[in-house]
Amino acid sequence: MLNDDPPTDHPLGDDPPADFRKIDFDRDLSEPTFNSHIGGLYVKRGDKGTRDEFVMGFRVHQHMCNPAGGLHGGMMMTVADLVGAMGGGTLAGLRKFLPTVNMTFDFVAPAKVGDWVEGRAELVRATRSLLFTNIYLTVGEQKILRASSICKIPSGDGLAFGKARLVREDAKP
Amino acid sequence: MSIPPARVPDGFRRLTEASGFAASNGPWFEKIEDGRAIRGFLPGPQHANALGIVHGGMLAAFLDSAMGTAVWHTLKRRAVTLRLTIDYLGPGRIGDWLQAEGEVVGHDEHVVQVRGRLYGRRHDVLAGLGAFSLLSRHRQL
Repeated sequence: MLNDDPPTDHPLGDDPPADFRKIDFDRDLSEPTFNSHIGGLYVKRGDKGTRDEFVMGFRVHQHMCNPAGGLHGGMMMTVADLVGAMGGGTLAGLRKFLPTVNMTFDFVAPAKVGDWVEGRAELVRATRSLLFTNIYLTVGEQKILRASSICKIPSGDGLAFGKARLVREDAKP
Repeated sequence: MSIPPARVPDGFRRLTEASGFAASNGPWFEKIEDGRAIRGFLPGPQHANALGIVHGGMLAAFLDSAMGTAVWHTLKRRAVTLRLTIDYLGPGRIGDWLQAEGEVVGHDEHVVQVRGRLYGRRHDVLAGLGAFSLLSRHRQL
């Protein structure tokens, strides 16, 4: 079945857990880019040095799934890539766009429609020019994806990573 | 989203059986040449990242699909991805046709090793190496 329509909202919505806020990747852009097109992505920020210093989350919808009805590997890889660059960059105190050089993904377990998926990064090492991180995606206590990422740290300011911002609570419809 | 047919190279057929993630991020195309399956897509604004080039996640998803298809065309067995490692070699640009293909380099009764490549007209974009787990011959998706 062909589906040219943009992804529609699941009747249940995203229903993010407390403290998660939607990321607005497309401020000032007329058309949604990939991060918005694939579905609502949320972030929660915790205290520095804690496990929850940077957590990305999303609700699994049908338009993120494969023909077998499970969360598509492409969606997992996309979110892991973002967690490596944005989360890893946050843990390392970097505020610029970090282009990915290499990623390795191990598909540990499936996820299904309705699951709330969270992604966390562990900073392995930041050199002057490279950022090494490990990433896990989880559903509850279950790990579904293990990834490792190497990002390039551009010299100078690079591209400021300020295009994306959190939707303000008071700006929600 | 419609794509002018002239933008799609000769011999590619639109994959109409896509659903879910692949349909939302398509259309994807395929052509069989000398027994190899080659997949292609035309990146649009919905595939872009903050830099205005094709998102690494989209590229990874597309290469993964082409590598999984290579398993099907070579062994006539369905498989799911166990592990994928990807080197990002160059940018994919919006509006420039991209292609991806996989090559089975080894397998036993459970696991297949596949080398993959995603490229534009003039440059390589991704190099991939993956391990895929073979599904039972009788399993229905």
